[in-house]
Amino acid sequence: MTRAPGPHVAPFRHESGAQAWARVIVVTLLLLATFAEFAARNPWPDDSEGTLDRVRGGVLRVGVTGSPPWTRVADDGSVSGVEPVLVRRLAEELDARVRWSSGSESDLMASLHAGGLDLVAGGLGDTGTWQGMAALTTPYTTTRAVVGVPAPMAGEEVSGTRVAVRADTAEEARLREEGGIAVPYTGPAPPPGEPAVVGEWMLGPLGLRDSGVELSRSDHVMAVRMGENAWLATVEGYLLDVPDEELRRLLVEAEGAGR
Amino acid sequence: MTRIYDHYELPEEKERLHLRAVRLEWATIAVFVVTIALMAVTLGQSQAMKAAWTEDFLSLVPPIAFLVADRLRDRGPNERFPYGYHRSVAIGFLAAALALLALGGYILADSLTRLVTGERPPIGLVEIAGWQVWLGWPMIAVLAVTAVPAVVLGRMKIRLARELRDKVLYADAEMNRADWMTSGAAILGVLGIGAGLWWADAVAAAVISADIVRDGLRTTRTAVTNLMDSRPTPATGHGTDPVPEKLVGIARTEPWVLDAWVRLREEGHVLVGEVLVVPRPDTEGITGRLERLGARLRESDWRVHDIVVAPVARIERQ
Repeated sequence: MTRAPGPHVAPFRHESGAQAWARVIVVTLLLLATFAEFAARNPWPDDSEGTLDRVRGGVLRVGVTGSPPWTRVADDGSVSGVEPVLVRRLAEELDARVRWSSGSESDLMASLHAGGLDLVAGGLGDTGTWQGMAALTTPYTTTRAVVGVPAPMAGEEVSGTRVAVRADTAEEARLREEGGIAVPYTGPAPPPGEPAVVGEWMLGPLGLRDSGVELSRSDHVMAVRMGENAWLATVEGYLLDVPDEELRRLLVEAEGAGR
Repeated sequence: MTRIYDHYELPEEKERLHLRAVRLEWATIAVFVVTIALMAVTLGQSQAMKAAWTEDFLSLVPPIAFLVADRLRDRGPNERFPYGYHRSVAIGFLAAALALLALGGYILADSLTRLVTGERPPIGLVEIAGWQVWLGWPMIAVLAVTAVPAVVLGRMKIRLARELRDKVLYADAEMNRADWMTSGAAILGVLGIGAGLWWADAVAAAVISADIVRDGLRTTRTAVTNLMDSRPTPATGHGTDPVPEKLVGIARTEPWVLDAWVRLREEGHVLVGEVLVVPRPDTEGITGRLERLGARLRESDWRVHDIVVAPVARIERQ
């Protein structure tokens, strides 16, 4: 950059356009060259640590934490639920063997962050809690907890009605806010034939109808290691391709298994 | 005759340009509000989103500073503000310069932190109308689209800023330049992430932000020295303003003036100061001559406003 010498130079001497452009062009070319080289040889997007390559035909290390009906960890360490079924199918597609380990969500996420796990499944919601620790998949399904009623009933009538709800859940608290009379239960399923707060997929099997009162809604995700974008895209692509009816079927099946 | 509460008006041609600048700044605000909304839709509540918002909000500072100063700058002087409100422009310039510096500093600190902590940005798939698309492509599209107005607005502003010697506008043009360069860096970063180069985004941002910081420092320095009543300077801080020499030259052409000295400062968009003259001892009608000289000096350049011409016996230069 030359300094403006005399008093008759344009007072607004800006960094010369040519110089700025040259810098931008050089940086662009350098990065584009690197980019072209990578794009030609690798999948798009690619992993920074090659997780997909390693998992394919190898071992898929999955961390799981119990959150029925999405995941369930038995005393003997065996894993069941909707998400383990999905994970096993994905592993099959990739010709990989699944190795499960269970733990608290924060332990699993720490391990994922450090590269000790490839995937975490635990009925996770897309809440942003693990921002910066793990890469969450795009939500593969959205579920709602609703007040199911045995006979047709308008939403506002829930207020003042006795509704069965799993004890100590967020839904129990919200039901009270809505003016319903909460009847907490602790067993695997609500008492039959009575109004109850259930996942919408259970309405049919329990012979209930949607009253139109929604108590919660969650977007379901799994977590992978950050920066492993080929692997992330593979998991996401697989999960998004699972048809809704199939998920519903798996959910009902998983609820049944818990009973 | 000297009117105490004197009003400054831009020459007609400059006034037209100034009105264009005002419209341009309103357009800038509109564009950034739309950009912020568009980003909110594509990026959701991600970390990248928060960074983009911080940048866009900072980019709103110069146009707002310009428009606020525009409301005040041409109000006439009064009892409370005997020098008028011209300095509001200088304050606006400082605000705009600081916003530019803050933008650069924020991006630099953020990108270096990401490099040091080895943060690997995840960019996965997104479902758009039933199609699974790598989220990087819509991100690049949004970045490219939002960079276009910054390029166009920046180029229009820098031209106007030169014509109007308007430093707030100049700082805003620099801000727009920073904006599109940041977008360009982000596009390269997203491509890098797609290629599995986790550091690409942070490195591209760090390179660009170093440039913005330098720009911000230079502009802030100019703004501060102007508030310190330095002699008039161009917005870049490089070079000198020719007006003081010009005024001395004019004063010296008067046959009754033996010696002359000038001291000028910038009050935003106007130049203000004192001219000392040493009249020949036998000069008659000194008051009228001084007033006529004052008028001549004011007419010599459209930015020259309040000039006090004072007769002295001798000027001592060290």
